[in-house]
Amino acid sequence: MSCERAFQPELEGCPVVVLSNNDGCVVARSNESKALGVPMGTPYFKVKYLVDKGKLVVRSSNYTLYGDLSARVMSLLAEVAPKLEVYSIDEAFMNMDGVRKEDLTGLCRDLIRKIRRWTGIPVSIGIAESKTLAKVANHFAKKYKGYKGVCMIDTPEKMNKALSLTPIRDVWGIGWRGAPKLEAAGVKNALDFVSRPSEWVRERMGIMGVRTWSELQGIRMVEDEKDEKRKSICTSRSFANMITKFDDLAQRVSDFAGKCAEKLRKDGTAAGTVGVFIHTNRFREDLAQYYPNACVKLDVPANSTPEIVGAALRAMKMVFRQGFEYKRAGVIVTDIVDADSIQQTLFGFDSGARDRDDRISRVMDMVNTSGKNVLHLGTQRSGHYADGIRREFCSGLYTTSWDELIEVK
Amino acid sequence: MADDKPTVHAGFPSPAQDYMNSFIDLNKELVRHPAATFYARVVGDSMVDAGVEEGDVLVVDKSLEPQEGDMAICFIDGEFALKFISYKEPSAKSVKAKKQGVSYDILGHRKMWLLPANEKYPPIEVTESNDFTIWGVVTYIIKKACTRL
Repeated sequence: MSCERAFQPELEGCPVVVLSNNDGCVVARSNESKALGVPMGTPYFKVKYLVDKGKLVVRSSNYTLYGDLSARVMSLLAEVAPKLEVYSIDEAFMNMDGVRKEDLTGLCRDLIRKIRRWTGIPVSIGIAESKTLAKVANHFAKKYKGYKGVCMIDTPEKMNKALSLTPIRDVWGIGWRGAPKLEAAGVKNALDFVSRPSEWVRERMGIMGVRTWSELQGIRMVEDEKDEKRKSICTSRSFANMITKFDDLAQRVSDFAGKCAEKLRKDGTAAGTVGVFIHTNRFREDLAQYYPNACVKLDVPANSTPEIVGAALRAMKMVFRQGFEYKRAGVIVTDIVDADSIQQTLFGFDSGARDRDDRISRVMDMVNTSGKNVLHLGTQRSGHYADGIRREFCSGLYTTSWDELIEVK
Repeated sequence: MADDKPTVHAGFPSPAQDYMNSFIDLNKELVRHPAATFYARVVGDSMVDAGVEEGDVLVVDKSLEPQEGDMAICFIDGEFALKFISYKEPSAKSVKAKKQGVSYDILGHRKMWLLPANEKYPPIEVTESNDFTIWGVVTYIIKKACTRL
């Protein structure tokens, strides 16, 4: 949202939403569009009438731009924080141990001003003893102007007040999965939750629940993720047109599997399981629906394109059925391990074939570095398949492409 | 996808690793604050007398505090505009303008003008009624000298 505004200041104050990949549904909303009553996750076609009436501006997601601006913001955070953990494209944890508490708010306000000025991106900061509580604090910093971007929870009074105002489903680590059970038991907000004894929490939510319970009281339980590699990688897309033929769907699934393999190799990891899901169009209630998924466990974790693609196709064969119109498919690789630490099974492993596949993949990576899919397996589609992605309302690649710089008169 | 136009890389793998860093990196000269540096392309002729022409690339540093006489990318009423920033009332006679100091409006705010470098365009006085921000200060102008390229 703010990335779009940084280069299109005229969007300041306007209701704007950003659409998911393929312009499917709303994934980010400006405050003005929230006020307009556009819910998160709304499919684009449901808000199109607002766009047509000129009441709402939509943008396709421009991850290249967001990634670049995110890296700039993170670099400025890293200058200040003794330890920085980048949690996602728009969130990071700063470990401020060693900075005097009375200096924190001022330091963070200065940082916010600097980031806004240097990058054009508005940020907010929540300060507390634990990550979970800092996220609660940040929620207040973001929501209420009076905090001027920084909210610190540093006394028991402030903590209780903040927890009582935080619905349980908004708590990091509880979310929409854990919330219904707790709500049914009378736990409406975070304060209700911490008021229960730890045994009560452990019985219902296990050790992870107790972790959140402690964190909310300012006791640090969530450790820094030390360069932890991704736990799963997913590549999925909705198709512009529905697909009925096995071969056509196989081609798309091969593409996605190839992308996953590429990401694994880039991370220096390998996956032990390759999963595939294929979905019909759930907005077409007049059509038959089918949402299967299947996965194939590899004998030895792999990251070569031929192996990952082969496994994905085997999984797809297990669940593909004729007579349905498929709208979406994806490949998820899990059981990710360090590529260097692969334990080979003793029997039946064809290391010659593995060497060959690894060599093929390395050549593919070298040739495909430009981002264009020049080299591909026979089952994959040629060219850059991002071309098939709908991005009708995309802003420019202002920071990464000479051809798309902002223009000034 | 982003054809990631590269930052300058040493063009050839050299066996002489000791000399690895001995190439000129334009970024070192042109980019003081990487996190705050953006680029823009010039369209139109509003700054031709300052040597800025259509097609030129501008290096913009958003971290710099705009000052009198800076060339800046301004955002005014829905459009990016390239102008000189001035806090002095512009005058037909440049000698007179130099003598004048900073002027203030009736509310005591420092007045600001955006000055083009082309007689065809008038200076613009920025008032409360404008939707206005200074987007960034121009630090370098990159110009193509050889039209064959």
